[in-house]
Amino acid sequence: MLSNKTVGASLAIVASTALIAGCDGWMGERGGEVDITAMTAEEYAEYLVLETDSYSFEQEAQEGGSARDRMVQDGIQAACSLEGEPDADTAGEVIAMARESYEEPPGGPRLGNWRRGAELARSGYGYRIGHRNDDHGTREPGGNCYACHQMDPAEELYGTLGPSLAGYGATRGTDSSVVNYVHQVVSNPHQYFPCTKMPRFGHNNFLTEEQIAHVMAYLLDPESPVNQ
Amino acid sequence: MFKKALLALPVAMAVGAAAQAGEWQDPNDVLQNLLQNNPDSAYLHQSEMNIMMMPDNPALWLIDEGEELFYAERGPNNVSLEGCDFGKGPGELEGAYVELPRYFEDTGKVMDFEMRLVHCMKELQGFTSDDPAVARRHGNGSDIMQLTTYIAHQSSGMAWNPPLDHPEEQAMRDAGEVLFFRRGGAMDFNCASCHGDSGKQIRASVLPEMRNGQEWTKAVSWPAHRAGHDNVRSQNHRIRGCVWQMRHAGIKADTPVNTALISFWNDAARGEPAVLPDLKR
Repeated sequence: MLSNKTVGASLAIVASTALIAGCDGWMGERGGEVDITAMTAEEYAEYLVLETDSYSFEQEAQEGGSARDRMVQDGIQAACSLEGEPDADTAGEVIAMARESYEEPPGGPRLGNWRRGAELARSGYGYRIGHRNDDHGTREPGGNCYACHQMDPAEELYGTLGPSLAGYGATRGTDSSVVNYVHQVVSNPHQYFPCTKMPRFGHNNFLTEEQIAHVMAYLLDPESPVNQ
Repeated sequence: MFKKALLALPVAMAVGAAAQAGEWQDPNDVLQNLLQNNPDSAYLHQSEMNIMMMPDNPALWLIDEGEELFYAERGPNNVSLEGCDFGKGPGELEGAYVELPRYFEDTGKVMDFEMRLVHCMKELQGFTSDDPAVARRHGNGSDIMQLTTYIAHQSSGMAWNPPLDHPEEQAMRDAGEVLFFRRGGAMDFNCASCHGDSGKQIRASVLPEMRNGQEWTKAVSWPAHRAGHDNVRSQNHRIRGCVWQMRHAGIKADTPVNTALISFWNDAARGEPAVLPDLKR
């Protein structure tokens, strides 16, 4: 929680500096009203993101709220804004935040339909905003698992940012302990991998619980091509 | 047509094959040196087709058009862009592109290349934000991309060397580094999610590593003909595409978040020769 406080404090400093400047455009425009060099790099970056009209913040985000909400960091995003691996203290804080914010689906994690999971794993559609907006009314958002992971060994187009998941369920089975663990990782992976690159598909409501159940079936179902 | 542009450059520049900072080199020679020096870089070697096509890079066709636009008397004020100072003096283009962003006294702020070009088109030539000359930022047919390709080409083979002497230049670069690692958006990504390691792939695309200078110089060498788009693209267009895929908020043109990111990008490629224009997948 330390990192949360730190970020909160820098935001307060940035906000007061903006008041001094009279909120009149971004400071570089008039020159010298605010001493940029008196800010830390973190304060200046936060100022650039939130106070300089650099983003189309007024746009609606598909998950509700505005584009601005996307760029305001939560505790895990702030703590993991670092190069390389987190130190032990940060890792511990991130794991604690992830555990605290993890939500089990009603009735507990379950496996859905692996065929639906295969479609979701391949689809990179959804939640993009800016010069072009993904329309969830015409097309369902996907999980884009193949962007980073190998899954079905027969699929040739897969990314390597994450570990290979080929045969993932074949060696692990479908006991409730396995199903519970996989749900925790897909929903909020920082519980086990603090500051992982992997999105929090459940916590961020990027995938619905039903979609997560399908993706989990694709990963664990003995019938799924991932496990052949 | 582009041969004319090449011949128009001083002969000493065109024959300079040695990889020396400050000397103009044909973009294909720059690329060949990078490939030779980095036989194990999966990023640099990923597209045999593009490497083969490089001498006939379609981006080269924009150079002549950009040159004509640069020297033409245009806009409501009917003047050329020869009065535009990209940091090396009015109309001095040689080496200017690789020494941006920089602090400009006349505007009192750090400006990246496109921001500066637009500033000159408005202030000198009298174009307004709504004029297509300024409003259209992307595509081979846009004035901005033709001018960008012509001007950037005058720095091909020269080492990235954005100045950091002015405190605002240093502050902008440092903020850009923070932004590179700042996680956000619906997928919790930062730039390093994809550019933190060498040889990683997103689907079929091999990604450049930011801390690997010889990969990174090619990565930030825009303008480049992007084969998949069949158009020449800019650094700003690359940023736009990245933040869109990252599910961040969209960044507007001519804004300081762009400038900060480009300040850091170009600094991360410091000392490495620029490939201008490049050809990308």
